[in-house]
Amino acid sequence: MAETTRPAIRGEPVAGKSMAQRGSAERRLFLFPALILVGVVTQVAFLATIYISLLNWNLVRPDLGTHFAGLSNYTTLLTSETFRTALQNTVTLTVGVLVAGMVVGLLLALLLNRPFPLRGLVRTLLITPFFVMPVATAEIWKNMLLNPLFGLIAWLIQTAGFTPPDIFGTHPLIGIGILLTWEWYPFFMLILLGGLQSLPEDLIEAAHIDGAGPLAIFRYITLPHLQRYIAIASLFGLIYLLGIFGEIYVATQGGPGDASTTLPYLTYQTLFDNWEVGAASAIGVTAVIFTIIVATGFNRILLRMTGYGEAQ
Amino acid sequence: MARKLHLGTVVTSLVAYAVTIAIVFPIVWMIMTGFKDEVSAYQMPPSLLFTPILDNLNEALNSGIMTYIEHSAVAVGASTLVALLLGIPAAFGLVWHPRKSNPNVLFWLISTKFMPAVGVLIPLYLIFKNVHLLDTLWALIIVYAAVNLPLVIWIMYSFFSDIPKELLEAGRVDGANDWQVLMRIILPISLPGVAVATLLSVIFSWNEFLFAVTFSYTDAPTIPVFVSSYMTSEGLFWARMSMALSLAIVVPVLLGWAAQRQLIRGLTLGAVKG
Repeated sequence: MAETTRPAIRGEPVAGKSMAQRGSAERRLFLFPALILVGVVTQVAFLATIYISLLNWNLVRPDLGTHFAGLSNYTTLLTSETFRTALQNTVTLTVGVLVAGMVVGLLLALLLNRPFPLRGLVRTLLITPFFVMPVATAEIWKNMLLNPLFGLIAWLIQTAGFTPPDIFGTHPLIGIGILLTWEWYPFFMLILLGGLQSLPEDLIEAAHIDGAGPLAIFRYITLPHLQRYIAIASLFGLIYLLGIFGEIYVATQGGPGDASTTLPYLTYQTLFDNWEVGAASAIGVTAVIFTIIVATGFNRILLRMTGYGEAQ
Repeated sequence: MARKLHLGTVVTSLVAYAVTIAIVFPIVWMIMTGFKDEVSAYQMPPSLLFTPILDNLNEALNSGIMTYIEHSAVAVGASTLVALLLGIPAAFGLVWHPRKSNPNVLFWLISTKFMPAVGVLIPLYLIFKNVHLLDTLWALIIVYAAVNLPLVIWIMYSFFSDIPKELLEAGRVDGANDWQVLMRIILPISLPGVAVATLLSVIFSWNEFLFAVTFSYTDAPTIPVFVSSYMTSEGLFWARMSMALSLAIVVPVLLGWAAQRQLIRGLTLGAVKG
């Protein structure tokens, strides 16, 4: 672009170019480097994952060669007990943390929506768990809090007269669920707080004057207003929670056995324990399909509520 | 208004403070444990008043944690820079040369965030292996830049869209070319947006674990990989571990506090302005 060419003022026709074409080359020049990088790393790579999932390919056994295997990786998966367990664990963990995080987040958002001294500081402190490195969160909870012999929570349970459970040994999903709820409630809290703060004050005032109690106001005004925020929080929460990996890697390594193995963890395990590239890709693809189903379902709900673009 | 001691406010405050202390206590306790010796690290109930020692800090610094932090700093810094260098012009292109396809481009960018990492992990691993970028920081720089780009473009797009149209038209009339408009008019008044995009991008890639452990495990491990290795190598050295964890989380926590107002806009890609 030479500096001597005077750019057209919007609406002014440029010689030989229609409105639609003007600046198209420049637009592409600005946009394409970014879109290409994102496209290659997310879309092209996913297509490659689909292709690899159709192969029999073991990285440490090059002597076996790489063969086209059709859908055999998928049929193996569908009959695999571990895969079914992983799918089940993924659903249980995701839904459990979503519900728990939403409830905790809603209660804290309601609290933060009331005026009290040092509210800003409390808000800042309450979102902190979200920024703690996830693998560090898992280390803290697994060792210093929930360890049945030395952990702080174990000590509290013991002091109360009960026997502290070895939660990661007996109920690993509950243990991981607890630390994930601690890590993720700030996300739900902030979205719901945004919703609460956009609720018109005079609406509540009017209901109050009409004699509605706090519970009725919550049930008939606050909750319906929050609906679309809950939906958006659920959509993004589900998407992010379905990908959880580091916490499981540190807290349980998917165990004991496969008791806390999820789809992302199973993909990683199949890749690096067995070096089965094709089989691991098939699990990766099912994880994506699963995510797409969930996201599409939620998008439908969001569209029905016509909330997506307006909830700002 | 007269200051009245309202019973409701007192109750709310007390509940809020108690809940906050309970929730944040694990972090506070971890930081304190980092300044204790190994024996008192186990003491129950945890001692809140103690003479802090710096042994663990010295030991952590000597144990090579700085190497991991350096790796993280390079991977995170370089990837964020790439994301900004590609993302800012992209957002500018969308605003300055708008087309009917803008909503589609923006929605496509959101949809890429729905792609689980395990859906792309294996081909990326194989490609990096083939071109000998595996176990270098380059692999992480490329992937983190791509992962953070949709976020950067969305944030910058929303900031650019708020700029008054007259200001842009003035640039056109003055005869400035696209690059000059971006650098002289648009970017200087969008620096808060750049700051937010940078903060969020740094936080997410600093804490990222799956790509880090897959692409950089052996020769270029980042700080999350170091933290995750504590479960096997250090066993129950809580004081030492606490110090290492504190050093690992200080960057994202401080930046997170700074970015908290824009956090939700970033995480939901503009769907909610928290």
